[in-house]
Amino acid sequence: MKTRREILQGLIVSIGGASALAACNGAATVFATKSGSVGRFYTANEMALVSRISELIIPRTETPGALDANVPGYLDGLMADWANEETQQVHRNALQMLQSQLGDRVNGDFLDVTEAVAESALTELDAAAFEGDESLRGYRTLKSYVSQAYFATEDGAIDELKWVAVPGRWDPAVEIPA
Amino acid sequence: MADFDAIVVGSGMSGGMSAKELTERGLKVLVLERGPEIIPERDYVDQLAPWESPNLDNVAQDEIAEHYPKQYGGVAYAIKESNKHFWVKDDEHPYEEAEGTRYDWLRGYHTGGRSIMWSRQTYRLSNLDFEANKTDGHGIDWPVRYEEIVPWYEKVETFIGIAGSAEGLPQLPDSIFQPAFELTDAEKELKAKVESAFPERNVIPARVAHLTDATEEQRSLGRSNCQVRNRCHFGCTFKAYFSSLNATLPAAERTGNLTMVHNAIVQSIEYDAETNRVTGVQVVDAETNEKHLYTAKVIFLNASTIASAMILLQSKSVTFPNGLANRSDQVGRNLMDHVSGAGAAGLMSGFDNMKVFGRRPCGIYIPRYANLNGQDKPYLRGFGFQGGASPLGNAGGQIPGIGRQFKEAHKKSGPWRVSIGAFGEQLPNSNNRVTLHPSKRDRWGNPLALLNVTYSENEYTMLEEASKDAVAMLEAAGCTNITSSDVNLTRPGNRIHEMGSVRMGRDPSDSVLNGWCQAHDVPNLFVTDGSFMVSSGCQNPSLTYMAFTARAVDYAVDLLADGSI
Repeated sequence: MKTRREILQGLIVSIGGASALAACNGAATVFATKSGSVGRFYTANEMALVSRISELIIPRTETPGALDANVPGYLDGLMADWANEETQQVHRNALQMLQSQLGDRVNGDFLDVTEAVAESALTELDAAAFEGDESLRGYRTLKSYVSQAYFATEDGAIDELKWVAVPGRWDPAVEIPA
Repeated sequence: MADFDAIVVGSGMSGGMSAKELTERGLKVLVLERGPEIIPERDYVDQLAPWESPNLDNVAQDEIAEHYPKQYGGVAYAIKESNKHFWVKDDEHPYEEAEGTRYDWLRGYHTGGRSIMWSRQTYRLSNLDFEANKTDGHGIDWPVRYEEIVPWYEKVETFIGIAGSAEGLPQLPDSIFQPAFELTDAEKELKAKVESAFPERNVIPARVAHLTDATEEQRSLGRSNCQVRNRCHFGCTFKAYFSSLNATLPAAERTGNLTMVHNAIVQSIEYDAETNRVTGVQVVDAETNEKHLYTAKVIFLNASTIASAMILLQSKSVTFPNGLANRSDQVGRNLMDHVSGAGAAGLMSGFDNMKVFGRRPCGIYIPRYANLNGQDKPYLRGFGFQGGASPLGNAGGQIPGIGRQFKEAHKKSGPWRVSIGAFGEQLPNSNNRVTLHPSKRDRWGNPLALLNVTYSENEYTMLEEASKDAVAMLEAAGCTNITSSDVNLTRPGNRIHEMGSVRMGRDPSDSVLNGWCQAHDVPNLFVTDGSFMVSSGCQNPSLTYMAFTARAVDYAVDLLADGSI
């Protein structure tokens, strides 16, 4: 089976991008941490928390979820390699705040409760965050990271978003089937 | 005997056009580029998929602070980890701002200059613009009128390729177009409602330098139609958007008359008082610090507005103690840009069942409507809006809800988000200027640019009104959740349309160039980048630079042929 890269290369040739091929070599590598362990930035507890929240925000359905796409590992890499100290600290504080707030909502440890209880607690917290509770700003940032990271992975971009490398045309009005 | 017939300083938007036009007329041309060579096959990064760029393709925050504080502060949307090599490092290429002022000098040093990274919006000026200074008394009169430049617009447009729609608007004359990127349904609704509520306003597809029906000539240069990826800031392997690297330089190259030297930083232009001619260009190699003098019969300065003015100021002689061709003392003055910082956004319902296919590299344009027939606004001149309407989707994670419904939000489009932002004209003002810093030097010994630019009351008033107009238009379109932040003018330079520092005019006592971009004081010196601009209009200016360049080359080659320069 052809890889996506090979398909893309074939497409470039077929539509006449004369000098395209060399540009396909030497792609960058993504250094994401494997899920479920101590990260390069996250402690084991933080990794577990981010894993649980990520999968609740973007669960596995007919398509891969946040854990399938290793979103927690992606965020660990983001914090370790992209973030400066200030951003790292803000993120760490946000996770602490979330663990505490979610713990209050479930009357216990958010990481230990059942899926249904956790989902219900996060649904409430999410609603409060989007109703303007400023103390939950850190959650909105985390949610943005999770969403962006998910759609930047091959699972999220290809399987869920149906991202195509070379659309080749512009259609401004495509009807969505009901 | 000169080394070359012509030297072109700079390989960007206008330098590439100088090179093409000169070489196609048979001249042996040297192009000097201060930065390293960009080889598309090696250096374009448009083919990277999202998952091939770590960290959401963000440049590490500590690295931004160290190397890109100005560049990133100005164009965070365009500088990514994978394409950061297209932008200068501020610590390697510093500049100074006059006390109490700020300036964004945003740029890249390499083959093609900023034509690699531009946002490709392409509009003609009109006679409204060419007569603006004369009408309201700010700045000096343009020595050229619209009709004179029309054939050169046409020549350039035919070559570069512009996607757009013919609208017949006198204030924004039609170009020679390839098919436009069609408006989305929400944009069509915006158009219908805005044009009905405000008959003097129009909502049209943005005009962009993208191929949508490539000509034989364009294909012969290895260019093909736009593939609608919106990866333009990363280079374009399809060479579908115009850049000098994608089009004019290859056209020059194939004549066999082009020589390009990279890493060649111009220190001065040599002047011979006896003949009253410039004779050559003194450069220092950016990597080896070796100096070299290249000679030619005619010199085209296309280093970009600030740099071209500085090269003239650095070229002092007994005849020109204040800088080459600067008897008027206008070199470095009248620095302009466009000004943004006002706009509005809102949501439009009724299109939840629609989505788009493809990633369009542009949006809508609302041409200038202010002061078209006499002065009828509380400010002079005018502005256009750029914007667009697209499905909100999951808004980068910024919509409520978790789980399946959130995950699949992008499939449902949801409401469509409309946003428009103003690009306004900045009045010419001789106090807005670049000078040579009196003491600070860069690592090659050249003076640093000292920028001193502030806005006038007119720009503030204009943008306040633009903000109100933006809200009114979105209200007329039936938008909800309309937001319009406080007017906060972009820093001078931030629109990356800096221009005007070597202006043209009829009178050698108050202008540097004549209407042919030829120095009044030195007949074989031409400046055809944005420096020559006498007023800024509110339209994105690259097309105008190239049209004047083609016209200046035609004039210069004729003068060379008849022996008068």
